[in-house]
Amino acid sequence: MSEVALRNVSKWFGRTLAVDNVTLSIPDGAFVVLLGPTGAGKTTVLRLISGLERSDAGDILIDGRSVAADTPARRNVAMVFQQYSLYPHLSVRDNLAFPLRSPILRTPEDEIARKIRHIAEVLHIEHKLDNRATELSGGEMQRVSIGRALVREPAIYLMDEPLSSLDAKLRAELRVELKRIQSDLGATVLYVTHDQIEAMTMATHVGVLDQGRLVQFGSPREIYEAPVSLYVAGRLGLPRINTLPAEIFAGAPKGARTIGLRPEHIETGAGRSTKVMRVEHLGDQTRLHLRLDGHDIVTLRNGGREPEPGETIEIHPRNPLYFDASGQRIA
Amino acid sequence: MFDSPMQRAARATPPEIARRIRGLSDRTVAWIFVSPTILLLLAVNIFPLIWTINLSFTNFRANRPNRAIEYVGFENYQRILTDGDIWLTMQATAHFLFWTILLQVLIGFTLAWLINRKFKGNDLWTTIIVLPMMLSPAVVGNFWTFLYQPQIGFFNYIVSFFTGVDPASFQMIGDVPLAPWAIVIVDTWMWTPFVMLICLAGLRSIPGYIYEAAEIDRASRWRQFWTITLPMVLPFLMLAVLFRGIENFKMFDLVVQLTGGGPGSTTELTSINLKREAFEKWRTGYASAYAVILFVTIFGLASIYVKALNKVKER
Repeated sequence: MSEVALRNVSKWFGRTLAVDNVTLSIPDGAFVVLLGPTGAGKTTVLRLISGLERSDAGDILIDGRSVAADTPARRNVAMVFQQYSLYPHLSVRDNLAFPLRSPILRTPEDEIARKIRHIAEVLHIEHKLDNRATELSGGEMQRVSIGRALVREPAIYLMDEPLSSLDAKLRAELRVELKRIQSDLGATVLYVTHDQIEAMTMATHVGVLDQGRLVQFGSPREIYEAPVSLYVAGRLGLPRINTLPAEIFAGAPKGARTIGLRPEHIETGAGRSTKVMRVEHLGDQTRLHLRLDGHDIVTLRNGGREPEPGETIEIHPRNPLYFDASGQRIA
Repeated sequence: MFDSPMQRAARATPPEIARRIRGLSDRTVAWIFVSPTILLLLAVNIFPLIWTINLSFTNFRANRPNRAIEYVGFENYQRILTDGDIWLTMQATAHFLFWTILLQVLIGFTLAWLINRKFKGNDLWTTIIVLPMMLSPAVVGNFWTFLYQPQIGFFNYIVSFFTGVDPASFQMIGDVPLAPWAIVIVDTWMWTPFVMLICLAGLRSIPGYIYEAAEIDRASRWRQFWTITLPMVLPFLMLAVLFRGIENFKMFDLVVQLTGGGPGSTTELTSINLKREAFEKWRTGYASAYAVILFVTIFGLASIYVKALNKVKER
């Protein structure tokens, strides 16, 4: 496993700047999650590291060695694509063996068989090994794709939303499994996702991309508790952070335009009165939809009596986040 | 104003017919629509086939329709299968089939592979390469006789340019050892583009991300070709071979224009030979038996091949 670094990397597609001067260091053994909406450049960063795309500026280093001019094969990276990129005419077993049969590796056949058996057990596909790739369900195909990356011991695993096509149960299962495999192997992983639970639970570091720029990089806690901007604050947290004009509550610092309230920033019992519009029971949590001066607020009930819809309750902020007119955080 | 086509059709039907149709079941209406095609098919396809089988057991001659027809049993078949000349035409056909298919597959696949890369003007090149296929076989046969002219022929000059032999020293069409190759070259020239188009469709059907995955999996170009490109294009390639095989088994127009079956009967393929038996020697019964034998051969080979093709597709 290796340390991977990007230095001032930029990539243009025609006249669109897909990756804008990104500098990022992925420590050895880290699980780095890239967050950002569609088009933020997450996948492009993966493809630049893998060598499927060449950067227009900057340098990419694996273990301190520049790989910017290398082919994907010479970079020694494994990648799980978002779509099932299996070899359709091969069996599951041969798909898993494909990277191991590369002449660069020269793995003996009994070693290949042993590795495939192990990976198939981990991913629960041992009974499908002799099926053809096209005879699998979507979830099984994606597990084989993941398995094809895991049989190798590359410098870095690149994963592009590998769990997004799976059903909720399998996704939760594989999330835990992937994290366990990663920490067992001490593997370096760069992982792209939309799913904030994946980001929060798996990542050692989170990078947030906005229109090709890396706007914040830090631990999941840092990103959640101390976002640098309104944009970053909106990436994590469920229910999403509530954003209201800063003057709604007293005590806003000078220059603040927006106040950001996560559920834990909202205390009930005193302050401004709001109307309870709706109460949602999600089983493990209860969401309250409130309305204050024409603004919607979603929060969680934290103990106490459950309010009825139509009722009025008082709320006040506690240690909220403040942002200026450009969306940068000021307090 | 905004009638559906059905409403318009209903109004256009004269009331007399409409009344009669109303009582018919869907199945009957379906038969009414299908029957003209079926009748036509029976008249021009199925009936002649059965009639040919019937004639193949007789000594009927079409230029003497009034002579009494005698049934001769399997005599026609026996004569054909023991006739050395017919085995020679079969050999000529096999030579023609084998080499045209081999060359067309090799060249066609290579061209498709080259043209599938992204480069400027590949659409233009595709069109240019496909041009020979759009010509009439008779025209192609005719103008290749000029290209093969020993005195003025372009082909002979090209060969002489590369090998240094005198262009007037050999005749592609006139020399016994060269004539079978002359027809192979022309057919390859004309039909390689067809094989190329089918291979191109196959190559384009392979999604790009499979190659990306292979590249990440550190497969060399060579390994990508053998483990991805070739197996995934193979069903298409086999289909092209099937089409070319069936077409060339009954090759007639191109070769008749080019060599007329000569010199001697070195390029007399089975269909040319058959036409000679049927419409020059007027041995209709004999020719019918010949046609039945060819039909059974081509049908048998094609069914075995299609079975193999389906197996490859399933893989």
